[in-house]
Order: sequence, then structure tokens, then C-alpha cells
Amino acid sequence: MCAAANLEFRLTDVTAGAGIQFQHNSGAYGGKLLPETLGSGCAFLDYDADGWQDILLINGMDWPGHKRQRSTLKLYRNNRNGTFTDVTKAAGLDIEMYGMGVAVGDYNNDGFPDIFITCVGQSRLFRNTGKGAFVDATRSSGLFGRQGLSTSAVWFDYDRDGFLDLFVCNYVRWSPDRDVFCSLDGTHKSYCTPEAYRGDTCWLFHNRGNGTFEDVTATSGVFDSSSKSLGVAMLDYDQDGWPDLLVANDTQPNKLYRNLRNGKFKDAAIEAGLAFSMEGKARAGMGIDVGDFDNSGKSGIAITNFDNEMIGLYRASAPGAFDDVSLPSGVGAPSRNTLGFGCMFLDVDLDGALDLAVANGHIDETVRNIRGNVGYAQPPQLFLNDGHGKFRDVAAEVGGGFDKPRVGRGLAYGDFDRDGELDILLTTNNGPAVLFRNDQLAGNHSIRFEFHGTESNRDALGTTVRIFAGDLQQTRMVRGGSSYLSQSELPVTFGLGKRDKIDRVVISWPGGRTEEYKELQAQRAYKCLEGKGIEPF
Amino acid sequence: MQEAAFSHRSPTNRLLFGLVITLAAVLAYSFYITVQLAGLRKLQSEMVDRNRKDSLQLLRIQNDLNTVALDMRDMLDTTERYPLTAWTAQLERLRQDLDSALKIEEGLAVASRTPDQRKYLTQSVAQFWDAVDRMFALADSGKESEAREQIRLTLQAREQALSTAVSRLLVQNNEGEEQAAASIAKIYDGVQRQLYLFLTATLIAIVLTSLYLIRSNRQLFARLAELSGQRSELAQKLISTQESTLRHISRELHDEFGQVLTAIGSMLRRAGKQAGEGTPLHSDLKEVQEIAQTTLNNIRTLSQALHPVLLEEAGLESTLDWYIPTVGKQAGIELHYEKSGKPFPVEPSAGVHIYRVLQEALNNVSRHSGARDAWIRLKYLRDSLELEVEDHGSGFVAEKMQRGIGLVGMRERAELIGGTLAVTPWPQGGTHVCLRIPREKVESHAA
Repeated sequence: MCAAANLEFRLTDVTAGAGIQFQHNSGAYGGKLLPETLGSGCAFLDYDADGWQDILLINGMDWPGHKRQRSTLKLYRNNRNGTFTDVTKAAGLDIEMYGMGVAVGDYNNDGFPDIFITCVGQSRLFRNTGKGAFVDATRSSGLFGRQGLSTSAVWFDYDRDGFLDLFVCNYVRWSPDRDVFCSLDGTHKSYCTPEAYRGDTCWLFHNRGNGTFEDVTATSGVFDSSSKSLGVAMLDYDQDGWPDLLVANDTQPNKLYRNLRNGKFKDAAIEAGLAFSMEGKARAGMGIDVGDFDNSGKSGIAITNFDNEMIGLYRASAPGAFDDVSLPSGVGAPSRNTLGFGCMFLDVDLDGALDLAVANGHIDETVRNIRGNVGYAQPPQLFLNDGHGKFRDVAAEVGGGFDKPRVGRGLAYGDFDRDGELDILLTTNNGPAVLFRNDQLAGNHSIRFEFHGTESNRDALGTTVRIFAGDLQQTRMVRGGSSYLSQSELPVTFGLGKRDKIDRVVISWPGGRTEEYKELQAQRAYKCLEGKGIEPF
Repeated sequence: MQEAAFSHRSPTNRLLFGLVITLAAVLAYSFYITVQLAGLRKLQSEMVDRNRKDSLQLLRIQNDLNTVALDMRDMLDTTERYPLTAWTAQLERLRQDLDSALKIEEGLAVASRTPDQRKYLTQSVAQFWDAVDRMFALADSGKESEAREQIRLTLQAREQALSTAVSRLLVQNNEGEEQAAASIAKIYDGVQRQLYLFLTATLIAIVLTSLYLIRSNRQLFARLAELSGQRSELAQKLISTQESTLRHISRELHDEFGQVLTAIGSMLRRAGKQAGEGTPLHSDLKEVQEIAQTTLNNIRTLSQALHPVLLEEAGLESTLDWYIPTVGKQAGIELHYEKSGKPFPVEPSAGVHIYRVLQEALNNVSRHSGARDAWIRLKYLRDSLELEVEDHGSGFVAEKMQRGIGLVGMRERAELIGGTLAVTPWPQGGTHVCLRIPREKVESHAA
């Protein structure tokens, strides 16, 4: 399919050409076990710190007693020529586990990203040795011994001590022996809705700075046994420089954990207008992302929900408060009949306004028998932001088979070919992963930054970056997590339209330092070391 | 007397009275509806809406209590890895929401709640949270099992009691809502009944007014027809009388004065012969004879003008043959006369009216049109006789013609002989007069 003439970019499915051959294994054998419908996630990461984004794809496995095949996650190293090599085994990740999501972060500040994989049962922490391999640090880090149906996770430095802490979402209290029989016809088992299970608290682990973690769930105020969490994003919604967390809950009120700067959090979701829908109903929150989509300098929020619930698109309306603008923005109506999972703000056409990509797919194969206008496989959506508060779904116009119906779950972006354009990685439930290369057609420019903390955490997570280019001002935060079970690349990309340079960039590091650099050329990538300056790379 | 009575029975006053009555009824009904709607609005806002808002808050309270119950269930789960104090923040959130909901609910339920009920709810909630605080204090001091025992023995029971109390309030609200709904339905029924009555009364008033109008119109039209008939009869009698009188005068002039003058002329001629040629007497007698002859001619002309005897003697066609050139010369108008069709005899009594219509039409051409030419067409058709007079002058001036009785006379004469008269102005100027008489009317007169 050709890209439409009025779009300034096109997407091309380069999965096969890039050498990515991944098939997600949900383990489904007919037992209709709840986790089968959920997985799995993906990530762009630079695991070998060579400046080229690699790919990590999380996988499930067969259930005990129903073993048919061996399946593991896949780590693909970027060959720097548009292709990837499967290095799973060499990286020591050729381990079977029922993986769900992934959070990438350099928790020991050694310059190499480590990987936390959320699982059904025991989640795993893999420490990057810096030599192209990972070692399982779950036990040594103190994270062992926790069973859960863990979903999304995020690394962030909530106490700003320079070490990344870990927040893990748990869905419900489920294990194979606690599985509940649910049925649509009274005879055959079907997948249960979350109401059938008790919620489970999310976990917050404080990084002691010595490679171990302390469970501060109970003392930090994030303990909530009623939550059924699927997505998490870090943000600084009150702009106090301390990272807050927003958690998307399924059939339960979303939680906005405001950082009280003393190691404690307080839920402010109701006051902020994020807990419920406009009708006052707790929706089935799935994926989540945060971005300054109106270039106001304040974070906006997107939360995907169940079909018939629409995407929640929130804009900061007053200090500490948000308005759901999904309907007036044009995002609400097209998402009424879709079940969204992964979602992410990215400037896909580099026009200077953040767009919104969404992975869709139902959990019930028979949904069309019940709701004729809703399918199991659903096309992803790509909402282009016109820069004036309106979005338009252009999935059918971008080419590359992007609008092919899929049972979408994970979604991440990363510039794997280093052309300054954000490429898209999408995973499907019990299906393949797809890599879409982004090619600009109108010559829009971008500028990229990679940040490394010295006093702050090495990944610079929580760093706020503002650029000024004539009348254009944009704000981004260096963040992990977000989307659904997935993580996008850490480098920050700003679309500049036809501008050749930016006037200045202001960097606010999580440690409190602020730096400013002027007259930076577009179409370049810059590496910025906290307190040490900036240089192109 | 009858006419006087009729003139006093004008419907205007009665219609105005009816209009005033109708407007007064509409105003009265509008006022009634406004009052009823205001009452309904008050009932809805003060009872139903308030009740619903209160129920929503009660549901919020009940939802919070249910969540508390679930939390307590989780707290009693010994497989949970976290200590009881981990629930502090979770229960604190619920406590804040519960307090907020209770505060709002208290404001909404002032009217429908007894002081005892309010007191019970407030005290129960306070006691519940006191117990929660004590339970957390126990847990904080390391007495987890005692704290759990307190949950089992005290908190769960208190939560149950609170939940039951809230359920009772919800039921009470539902009953109140049902009563309000019944009151609203009663008001709606009343309004509906009044509306039907009003509509029926309005309908009856419209029907009566319509009947009255129809009756008045019929009387008016009947009276008009009667007056029109009387006027027509009078006009026709006038015309007949006029014709009779003119005929008599014409006859008298022709027969009496004509014979006398003829005799005088003969006598003068004889006297002149006797006086001898060339004598002064002969000359004088000759002069007197010429005067007598001129007078005789004038009397004959006047007689013809008053009543063309020729009509009775030679018929309409010959009369027109004589009359048209004569009037053309007198009026100085070029008259183009055409005849068509197969002629049939026209009864003189009809012919005189046709003659008079022509006379009046040509008189109008001469006096009003300013035309130098006029066209006269006499058409003997199979079933009618038509006489057309056409000119291209200044045209038909209705006001000018209405001032005289010429046009009225022409129409009356046409009706008198069973014909029709059409006077049509030409768009480009001029007038076309067409008299059409059914042939049987002419012939019946002739028979």
C-alpha cells in the first residue's frame, strides 16, 4: 500500500528484512488461563552501549503439564545496517519464564542498561555485565520470593539519591491453583474478567545503592490491595522536580501517586480527575503514556481502555488537575470500538507536535459473536496531532500494512537506524512482533539528545528537557516505562519541522542541576553528560 | 323595521367579545400551567433531585464500606506478605472519601432524616474509625494477631452494621422517591385533565364562533343578494319606463308634430302657388315652408334619437346601418363597421337594448377615449349574437365610468335580455366592449 500523498512520512514493515523472527507464546492450550490474554511487551534498549538501539521482545511459555515447545524472550542486537542479530543465548537470556513486561534501567549506574522482566510468578532482574551478557540478579538484589501476576514496571529515582528505584504493577491475585472458572455459555470455560479476582498491590522497591533493593511498598503509601494495575508512567505533574507515578488500573480507579518528597506517596488521582471516567466510572485502564502533546510545558496523559470506553486523553487544565479531552480532540470517537493496550506519544512526522500511537486487540476471540462491530484482531491507530488540539487517525494512510488488524499488546518507539526518525515496534498476543521503519517524505528535521547522569542516576531518568526554536517550545522528560508492558528508547527526539537549528536547550537534571546550551544544529544527535557539557555523536 | 333590526345585528361586537373571552381563557390557563410547572420544578429539585443526589452519596458511602470490607478481608489473609500497617494509607484514603461523602450526604438529607438517624450514622462512623485506629495502633506495636482479632470481632461487625444502616437509608430514599414520583404523576394527571378541559372548551368556543360566523355570513350574503335583486329589478323597471316614455315621446313627435308640420308644409306650398311666382309673398311663404321642413327634419331626427322607430319597422341590422354612419359623422370618429355570420331577425324589444348598449359604448368612445377610430362588429353566431365595440384610445378608466350610470345601464340592459356584457381594457391601451346574447333569448323575444 502506498502512503497517502498528504502525509509527511510513511511506515514500512521491515520485520523480516531486519531479521526479527519472533513468535509470542501465550501458552494457551484451552485452559483459558487469565495471563494468556495479557502478554507481552517489548523494548528498545542500547544494551551494549554502542549508541545503536537494540530490541528486546518478552515471551511467555507453555503452562506446566502442557509443554509443547520451548520459548524464551529474544534480544536482538542492532547490526548498525538496518538488521539485527538474535543474541539471546549469548546474552544469557535464553531462559524460559512466563514473561509479561519489561523495564530497562541502569540500576547500578555502571553505564550498561539492566533489565527487569515482569512475570507470572517470580519476576526477574537481569544485571548487564557490560560484556554483552546479563546475569540473573533477582535473588542477590533481594527481589526474590515475590509471586504475582506482574505487568508493567518502571525504573525511576523517586528519592533523587542517584540510584534507580523500581515500581512494579501487579494485576490480580492469580495463580494456576487460584484460577476461577468463568463461562459465557455456562458450559465451556472462557477468560474471566478482572472482577473475578481480588486485586493486588503494586510494589515499590527502593534501591539501596549497593545492588540490593528494599521493599518500601507498605511504608511509602503505594500499598493498595484493591488495585488491578496494568500500566504505569512516571511524570512530574505538579512540576516540583520530584517524580510522581500514574498507574492505570483495570476496572478500578487509576492511581496518581504524588511524590511527597519524603519517601512517601499520596494518591491524588481523584482530585486530579484521573481516577474515573467523566461519568464517574472506573474504566478498564490498560496502557498509559505521558507527554506534552500541546506544547504547553505541562504533561498530558493518554490511557487506553476497554472497548466502549474510549481512550482517555487528558490535558492539564489547572495546577494538579486534568480534563479529559478525548472527544473534542478527535481521539475519543475512533477509539470507542477498540480495546487499546500499548500507547505512546511520539512525534512521528517530526512537525513539533507529539502524536499518539495505540496498539489495539481484544482479549476474547469470540467477541465478534457478542459485539458485531468489535473484532478480536484490531488495527493499531496512529493519531496525528495537528498542533492545534486535534488528532486524526492516519493508520490506514501510513503504509507498511500498519493498519492490518492484529491482537496488539506492546508498543515502543526507537530510532534503530539513527536517521533521526522514530521507528515503531509492536507486539501481538500469541503472534509475531512487527518493526516499522519511519521514513520522512517532506524533509522535516529533528534533533536528538542522549543524557547521562553523573550525580543523577546514570540513565538520567527524570531529566526534563526544554527546547526553544523560534516560536516553537517543546518539553520532554527522560522516562522509562509507559505504554503497556514495554519501554521505548531513552534518548529524546524533538521534531522541528523545517527548522535547521534550535536556539537553546534547557536541561533540568533530577539532581537539581540546570544546564543550557545554545545554537544547536538540527539533524544531529547530541550526547550530554551531567555537568560535563554536550557533544554531537 | 326588518332592515333596521338586521343592521343592528352586526357580528363584530360579539366576535370581539369572544376574542376577549378566549384571550382571558388562554391567559388564565397559562397562569395555571406556570404555577403547576413551578410546583413540579420545586418538587423535582427539592425532593427528587435532592433524593437522588443523596442516594448517590449513600451509594458512594456503601461502596466505600464495601471496599473497607474487602480490605479487612485481605488484612485477615495470613498469606499476605505485608504487615497490617501497610493498609494505613489505603484505609486513610477510604476514610477521607467516606468523610467527604458523609458530609455531603448530611447536607442533602436534612429534611428526610430524623435526628436519631443522623446521630446514629455519625456516631457509628466515628466509632468505626476509632476502632480502626486502635487496630492499627495494636499492629504498629507488633500485636498483629490481636489487631486481626479486633478486625474479626469488632471492625467487621461495625462495618456490617454501618452498611445495613446505609442500606436502610437507601431504601428510605427509594420510598421517598416513589412518593415523590406519585406526587409528580398526580400533578401531571391534573395538568393533563385541565389541558383536556381547556382544549375542549377552546374547541367548543371555536365551533360556536364558526357557526355564528357562518350564520352571519349567510344572512349577509342573502341580504346582499336580495338587495342586488331589488336594485336590478328597479334598474330594469327604470330602463323599461325610460324606453316606454321615450318611445311614446318619439311616436308623438313623429306622428303628431310630423303630420302637423307636413300639413303646414303642404299648405304653405299651395299658398305659394296661389300667391304667384316672383311675388314677395311667394318668397316669404317659400322661406316659411323651408323652416317648417327643417323643423320637420329635426323632429324626425330627434324622434329617431329618442327611439329609433326604424327598429320596429326595419329591424336591428338596418337600424345599425343607418345609425353608425350617422353617429360617426356627428362625433367625428371613423367607425369601421363589420357584420359577420348569417343574420337572423332580432326582436325589436331586444334590439332596442342592443341599440342602447351600442349607443352608450360609442358615446364612451367619443367622450372618454380620445380615439379617432373605433371598430364595431356584429356577429351572428350559431348560438348567440355578439356585438363588439373596440377602440385604441386612452382605455378603460374605471373611476370615470363608475361615476356615471352608463356602464351600469349597459349591464342592466344586457341582463334584461339574458345576455352578458364584458368591458375589457386592452393592455396596450383602449377598450373592448362585448355584448353577448344567447340566440334563443333573442329569438324567443322575436317569436
